[in-house]
Amino acid sequence: MAHTEAHATASLLDAGGRAEMERSWRPEPGFWGWLVAVDHKSIAKRYIATAFIFFLLGGLEAMVMRIQLARPENGLLSPDQYNQLFTMHGTTMMFLFGVPVQIAVALYFVPLMVGTRNVAFPRLNAFGYWTYLIGGVLLYSGFILNTGPDAGWFNYVPLSGPQYSPGKRIDVWAQTVTFTEIASLVAAVTLIVTILKQRAPGMSLNRLPLYVWSILVTAVVILFAMPSVALASMMLAMDRLIGTHFFNPAEGGDPLLWQHLFWFFGHPEVYIMFIPATGFVSEIIPVFARRKMFGHTPLVLSLVATGFLAFGLWVHHMFTTGLPQLGQSFFTAASLMIAIPNGVQIFCWIATLWAGRPRFATPLLFVIGFIVLFVCGGITGVMVASVPFDQQAHDTYFVVAHLHYVQIGAFVFPLFGAFYYWFPKVMGRMLSETLGKVHFWLFFVGMNVTFFPMHFLGFMGMTRRVYTYPVEAGWAPLNLMATVGAALMAAGILTFLANVFTSARRGAPAGDDPWGSHTLEWGTASPPPAYNFLHIPVVQGLYALWERTPDRPVVTGMGTRRPEVLLTTVLDAEPDARYEHPGPSIAPLLCALAVGVTFIGGIFTTWAFVVGPALLFPALLVWMTTQDDHDGPRTEGEEPA
Amino acid sequence: MSAERSVLDVSGLPKVVFGHRSLLWWGTVGFMVIEGFTLVLMVAAYFYLRTGEMGWPPGRTPNPELLIPTINTVLLLLVMAPMHAAGKAAKRFDRRGVARGLLIACALTLVVNVLRWWELLALNVRWDAHAYASAAWGVVVLHATLIVVDFFETGTLAALFLSGRALRKHYPDVADAAFYQYFLSLAWVPVYLVIYWGPRVL
Ligand code: HEM
Ligand SMILES: [Cu+2]
Repeated sequence: MAHTEAHATASLLDAGGRAEMERSWRPEPGFWGWLVAVDHKSIAKRYIATAFIFFLLGGLEAMVMRIQLARPENGLLSPDQYNQLFTMHGTTMMFLFGVPVQIAVALYFVPLMVGTRNVAFPRLNAFGYWTYLIGGVLLYSGFILNTGPDAGWFNYVPLSGPQYSPGKRIDVWAQTVTFTEIASLVAAVTLIVTILKQRAPGMSLNRLPLYVWSILVTAVVILFAMPSVALASMMLAMDRLIGTHFFNPAEGGDPLLWQHLFWFFGHPEVYIMFIPATGFVSEIIPVFARRKMFGHTPLVLSLVATGFLAFGLWVHHMFTTGLPQLGQSFFTAASLMIAIPNGVQIFCWIATLWAGRPRFATPLLFVIGFIVLFVCGGITGVMVASVPFDQQAHDTYFVVAHLHYVQIGAFVFPLFGAFYYWFPKVMGRMLSETLGKVHFWLFFVGMNVTFFPMHFLGFMGMTRRVYTYPVEAGWAPLNLMATVGAALMAAGILTFLANVFTSARRGAPAGDDPWGSHTLEWGTASPPPAYNFLHIPVVQGLYALWERTPDRPVVTGMGTRRPEVLLTTVLDAEPDARYEHPGPSIAPLLCALAVGVTFIGGIFTTWAFVVGPALLFPALLVWMTTQDDHDGPRTEGEEPA
Repeated sequence: MSAERSVLDVSGLPKVVFGHRSLLWWGTVGFMVIEGFTLVLMVAAYFYLRTGEMGWPPGRTPNPELLIPTINTVLLLLVMAPMHAAGKAAKRFDRRGVARGLLIACALTLVVNVLRWWELLALNVRWDAHAYASAAWGVVVLHATLIVVDFFETGTLAALFLSGRALRKHYPDVADAAFYQYFLSLAWVPVYLVIYWGPRVL
């Protein structure tokens, strides 16, 4: 940025400029304001809250299942109720909590971390949230009305086809999935463009924080993974509703087509939850080890490699379907290869902690818990990646143990770490460290007590998805132990909730930067103002806040009368344009409702595919024609042309 | 806390930029990736189902007809011309040129949408006959959905420019819409070849 000093003419904002900024970014008040909001923080907060509610619901379902399995021949649940419960639990955790919560956290922090004022497509972003909400409400309405899906979270045909699953249960599943896919896709596009085009000047790609890298990779994975399941769920819906034969072998269809399409998405989905989690870890470790990260470049390369490899692995979920030998060897090799980038990451994290002066606050505890559990889950993962072993363990509790070690260890633990780390930024108050530590230990011990015994249950022949088992099987003690563990985890979650609710009101004030962090979000107030940064920061190094000396270099000359974001170039983040931002609008909600009418109505009548799009048209019109309803006179050059 | 210091004045930067300098261009690329990849997967499913059949089309199902689909393919390619003109006019901030291009493109797209129905009938089989039929209908309907949505979007854009409510910042959107139209028209060509010519050679 050679030209910077020479052009330094515009001055910092005075009181009047500040007032103008406040006015042009001020959200609309009241309930209406909530419906029309397009601020990324407002959308992300409700996204996070919604995802956590689904986490609690999924956890509740798990708890009920564990109570049922606590002793042999228990009569709490009927087989049908158990089928619905494990399907609801799996679907909730994967589609309504796992992916959405990662998107939600990114929607809050990515714009702040790259130093911009909102996401690239604020209205699309709001639309995404509303579609997600509609999908979740649909699934749970079905469940309440005894129309909860019951064919498992991967919903295999032919069981889920028209012949073996009459009624509307599976249709509810298929459309819920369609909604969540739409939501993830629009969020992915929004995040990618925000990261590529709205970074603060000076934040060239090689100065991008590791968490933002992780989101960039994840969003690209979403672009290629989600279409597959959206297509699969549409095909299934059509097989069930209008008599197509995609999966019907009697008419030339093929059930394995479902499995290919589903797992082409399903395996990467695990990485959609896991890659951002590694991003949390890479943000938390340097801050709490109080030194720069060892091996920034290898970490970035590992992230990218993980994203690529995620697509080479889907067939390992299908080893027992009789695929050709060569295919099996290839996918075993690919599944083992993913251990390489993961190993590199773990090495860099441990090295950084080793060489630093670690401060064992709650966020770091959860990260250390993650490293321990992830290594365990990774080992069992390598085990099931080998075909002969998988043929023994497939569909047993060994797999239930493995998948929960990975999901909870590698995703939920870092997520809680991130929650403790970033809560002060969002709420302006600290969470209690004492309760945080109680939460951690209950959850960590509970997790192991619940899932470790399941490895042995698998070896002893207990298959997954059974609603009960006979006394003679000898599985009772380990099952009881697992249920006790689940109760410990539940206690951990209650501690967490108590912490959140008390600290949100009475926690110690956080200040701008309570942890001494280095990324840009800590350079503004907690919680951040509507425009995030009064002056957009100028970045001078990889560790933006640690390297901004002696004072705080910023951008001036942005418009204040209308909300503006700064566009920069893709590679070097050179300032390129000032872009006027669309304001609040009801159109995203209207569009989401029209999409809702289309797909929910489609379960009952094909006319919905005419009515829904017909409603979409006026909604789109509102969207396009209300681009600038900010008050205030237009300035020169903005007049209608 | 240290003080803020201005090191960079951006007041002279433009507010309206075209192509890859604009946000919407990148968003359009994102949606092209999603839609293009969905089409690729759908066509892959078509080929996958082929492996389970002796003949393609199976049994006594006739080959698809070529006349209407070929005419429609040409029309769809033609839509690129007025959109191209609209895009160029947008770069000159020529409201009339933009409106004219968009209107012609809209009219052509409408014809394409209507002909789509006969294009589906040209498959010579109903979607619920067997897997071949489902897959062929699936591919064509998927692309048709994109065209219907595109028709709405171009229509709204045209309405915006005809009503005189368009602002300077809307002009780049027109250029991006033209860019998207190339994708939509060109993506159809391989699909057309696979679905309407494929059964003759597969
Ligand atoms: C919070 C504590 C949790 C407990 C106690 C728990 C417990 C269970 C139980 C009892 C089952 C059914 C096993 C069977 O009958 O086959 C199950 C299945 C499953 N769980 Fe969890 N779970 C928990 C958290 C999670 C999380 C966080 C995720 C993902 C993010 C997850 C994903 C799944 C999936 C995908 C299945 C398979 C569902 C199916 O078979 O269709 N679980 N879990
Ligand atoms: Cu997998």
